[in-house]
Amino acid sequence: MVSASAYVPAIVLLPFVSFIVALFGRENLPKRGAYGGIAATAGSLALSLWVLLSVRNGEAFQETYYTWATGVGAQDWTLTFGALIDPLSALMLVIVSLVAMLVHVFSLGYMNDEGERDLPRYYAGLGLFTASMLGFVIADNLLMAFMFFELVGLCSYLLIGFHFREPGPPSAAKKAFLVTRFGDYFFLVGVVAVFTTFGTAAFAGAESFPALAEAALNGEATVWTPGGLAESTWFTIVGLLVLGGVIGKSAQFPLHTWLPDAMEGPTPVSALIHAATMVAAGVYLVARMYGFYVLSPTTMAIIAFVGGFTALFAATMGVVKRELKQVLAYSTISQYGYMMLALGSGGYVAAVFHLTTHAFFKALLFLGAGSVIIAMHHNEDMWEMGGLKDKLPVTYWTFLAGSLALAGIFPFAGFWSKDEILYEALIHGLDEPLILGAYVMGLLAVPVTAFYTFRMVFLTFHGEPRSSLARDPHSVRWNVKGPLSVLGILAVVTGGINLVPVQKIVPSIEGIDFLHKWLNNDWGGIEGLSSHHYAELDPYSSQYLFGGEVPTVLAGAAVSLGLAIGGLALAWALYNVADPDEHTDKLGGLKALLYNNYYQDEFQVWIADNTRAVAGGADTFDQGVIDGVVNGVSSVSLLSSERIRRIQSGVVSNYALLLTLGLTTLLVVFGLIGGWF
Amino acid sequence: MTDTDGSDRASAALAVTALFAVLTTVVVGAAGSFPDPTGFPADASIVHNIGYALFDIGLGEIPAEGFLAAFLIIALALDVALDAAIYLAKREDEGSIVSALTDGGRDIVAGDVAEREPADEGGDR
Amino acid sequence: MVPPEYYLVLSSAIFCIGLFGILTRRNALYFLMSAELMLNAAVINLVAFSFQWGNLTGQTFALFVIALAAAEVAVGIGIVLVLYRNFGEIDVLNAATMRW
Repeated sequence: MVSASAYVPAIVLLPFVSFIVALFGRENLPKRGAYGGIAATAGSLALSLWVLLSVRNGEAFQETYYTWATGVGAQDWTLTFGALIDPLSALMLVIVSLVAMLVHVFSLGYMNDEGERDLPRYYAGLGLFTASMLGFVIADNLLMAFMFFELVGLCSYLLIGFHFREPGPPSAAKKAFLVTRFGDYFFLVGVVAVFTTFGTAAFAGAESFPALAEAALNGEATVWTPGGLAESTWFTIVGLLVLGGVIGKSAQFPLHTWLPDAMEGPTPVSALIHAATMVAAGVYLVARMYGFYVLSPTTMAIIAFVGGFTALFAATMGVVKRELKQVLAYSTISQYGYMMLALGSGGYVAAVFHLTTHAFFKALLFLGAGSVIIAMHHNEDMWEMGGLKDKLPVTYWTFLAGSLALAGIFPFAGFWSKDEILYEALIHGLDEPLILGAYVMGLLAVPVTAFYTFRMVFLTFHGEPRSSLARDPHSVRWNVKGPLSVLGILAVVTGGINLVPVQKIVPSIEGIDFLHKWLNNDWGGIEGLSSHHYAELDPYSSQYLFGGEVPTVLAGAAVSLGLAIGGLALAWALYNVADPDEHTDKLGGLKALLYNNYYQDEFQVWIADNTRAVAGGADTFDQGVIDGVVNGVSSVSLLSSERIRRIQSGVVSNYALLLTLGLTTLLVVFGLIGGWF
Repeated sequence: MTDTDGSDRASAALAVTALFAVLTTVVVGAAGSFPDPTGFPADASIVHNIGYALFDIGLGEIPAEGFLAAFLIIALALDVALDAAIYLAKREDEGSIVSALTDGGRDIVAGDVAEREPADEGGDR
Repeated sequence: MVPPEYYLVLSSAIFCIGLFGILTRRNALYFLMSAELMLNAAVINLVAFSFQWGNLTGQTFALFVIALAAAEVAVGIGIVLVLYRNFGEIDVLNAATMRW
C-alpha cells in the first residue's frame, strides 16, 4: 500500500504545473486554462483527502525534502524545504484545495462566460496562488513558511491587479502588497531572530524552536538572547515580530486597510484569497507556532486584544457600506479578529474551528456575491438591487445559509464556532482583564455583525427591485450554482464537527467533539503539537460563572445568540420592507466617520508622507553605496582597459621592442629559476 | 626617410644591449661545461655526407638524421613562396604577366605598355 | 679548436645587431636585411654545434634555414611592393592603422 506521504509534494506541484501550463499555453488551452486548473486542484483535493485519511490512521509525519543551505563552523543551521503533515495541516490542506477547486469551477461562470480577456494570466495566477498556499500549509519550518507567505502575497498582487488597464485595480494591488510587506518586514526580522536564538526554525520535533523555548524557560536549555535580556522578554519580542507579518496578512488593525481595496480584483479571487485562504495564512501561522506563543502571556494578551478590537472595529465599518463586496470585506476583517481573539485567549481549537467554518461560509458569501454581480451586470451597489430572491433562488438560499452562519444563528456552522470562541475567551478572561475586555468587544461585535449581514441580505434580495438591472437580471449557469450549493451545504453542516456545547450540556453524549479530538492527537499526530500540550503551557486558568461549567456554557450561548437575533431583528425591521430607506443617514456625522473607515487610509498616507526622510536615506544608501560599489567595479575594468589597449599603437617597431623586452625578461626569469647564472 | 629619431634609438639600443648582456652572461656561466668538440673525420667529405642525409641514403661515415621529408617540404615551400611573390607583385588593372611575354614584346615597345606612364616616375623620395 | 662559447657569443652579438636594425630601421628593405641577419645568427649557432657534437644534422638544418630565409624574403619583397603601392614610399611606420 503506497503511503500518502510520498504524494505530499504532488499536492503542491499539481497547481504549480497548471500555472506553468497556463503561462506557456496561452490562448490555445481549452477554456483558457480553466480545465487545467480545475483538474490540478481536484487532484490536490483528492490527495489532501487521502492525506487526511492517513493522518486519521495515525500516519502523521515530518520530512525534509531538500536542504538548500548548510551552515559552516559555529553556525551549523541548515535551511531546508520539508513537509509537516499533522492534524492541523491535513485539515487546512483539505480546506484550501476544496475552496480552490470550487473557485476554479466558479471562474468558468464568472470569467469565461462573461467573455473576459487575458484569461490564461488569470488561471496562471490562480494556479500559482494555490500552489503557494498549499506549500505554506505544509511548511515544516519558519523560513519556508516565510517564503511561501511572500509568494502568496505576490499572487495576491498579481490577481488583484488583474484588470490592470483600469485605474483602480493596479493601485489596490500596490496598496495590498505594500501594507502586507510592511508587516512582513517585521516577520523577516523575527525569522532571523528565531534562527539566531534557537539555531533552528523547525516547527515540530524535539529540536524544534517551540520545544527549545519551552526548555529554556524551564531552565533546561540555554538559548542566545541579545544583551543579556531575560529569555521570556526576548521570546515575547520575537513573537511580536512574527506577529507583524500575521497582522498584515490577516488584515488586523492597524494593517487592515488593504483588504477592502483588494475587492477591486475579480470576485472569485476575493473568494479564494481574501476570504478563505490567504488571510487565513496569518492565523494558521500563529496556530502552527502556538507552542511558542503560549509561552509568553504578554503576546497572547496582545493578540487577543488586537483581535477583539478588530472584530468590533471592522464590524462597525461594515454597517454603512453601499457595495456588496465591501460589506463582505469588512466582515472578513472582523471574523479574523475573532480568530485572533480565540488564539490569544487560549482557545486553540476554537480558532481552528472558526477558521474552518469561516472559510466555507465566507467563500460561499463571496461566490454568492459574485453570482449577484453577474446577474446585475457588474453593478455592486446594493441600493440598486432588491427583489432578487425570486429571480436567483439558488443564489438566495445559499447566500441566506451563509449569512445565517456568519451572523451566528443556531444551528448553522458559524454559531458553534463563534460561540466556542466567546466561551473560551470568557472562561479564561475572568482572571485576566485584557482578555475580558477583548471578550466584551467581541461580544459587542455579534449584534453588529448580524445587523450588517442581514442589512446586506435584505437590501440585495428582498423588497422591490430598485433599478432596471434588478428587474431583469442576467441568469447564471450550473458552474455558478454548483459551487454555491456545495458550500451552502457545508455552511449548514460543518458545525457538526465540534458540537462542544451539546456534549457539555447533555451528559449522556460523549465523543462528538471531533475537532477537539482531532487536534488533540487522539488519532495520532506529531508529539508536542497537540491541543492538550498547548493547554498545559498556556498561562490561563478556567473560571466559571454561576457555579459551574454547564451554566456558563448555557449563559454564554444564550447571550451571544440573543444578541445575534437582536441584530437580525433590527435589520429585519429596518430593511425587510418593500422600499427601505437609508437608515444609516440617521447616524449623522458618525456615518461619515464610518464610511471613511475612521480615516485610517488618510492616516497611513500621512505617516508615509512624513517619513520620506527615512525612505530617502535608504534610497541614497542603495544608489550611492551599493550601486556605487557595483558601478565602481565595472568602471575599474573599463578605465583600465581604456589605458592598457593603447599599447597597440600599430607601429611595428614598438611591437618589436616589446617583444625584445619580453624575451629578455623571460630569459632572466628562467635563468634565475633554473640557476643558469 | 631617415631612421627613427634619437629617443627611440636609445630605447632600442638599451633593449638590445640588455638582451646581449643576458645571453652573454648565460654563455659565460656555461663556459666550462662543454666537452671537447667532436670534430669530423679528416678524410670524410662533408658535402657528400650532407647529400646522403638529404636523401636518406645511409652511405656516409658522419652520423646525421634523415631529412628527405623536410627536403621535399622545403621544395614545396619554395614553390609556394615563388607563387606568393608573383601574386603580391601583380598589378590589378593589368592582364596576366604571361600575356605580356607572348607577344614578343610588341606591347612593351609599341603597344599599351609603352603608352602608359613609366613606372619609376615617383623615384626615390 | 675554438670552444663553442665563442661561437655562442658571436651568434648572440650578430642576433642583437640584427634586432637593433629591426627596432630602428624605417626603410622596409633595411628591415628585411636585419631580419636576414638574425636568421644567419641562428645558422652560425647550428653549424657550431654540428661541429661540437660531430653530427651533420646541424649543417643540414642550416641549409634548410637558408632556403626558408630566401622564401621569406621573396614574400617579404612582395609585401614591400604592396606597401609601396598603398603609401608611395616604403616607410614601415606608415602602416599603422591596425591599432586601438
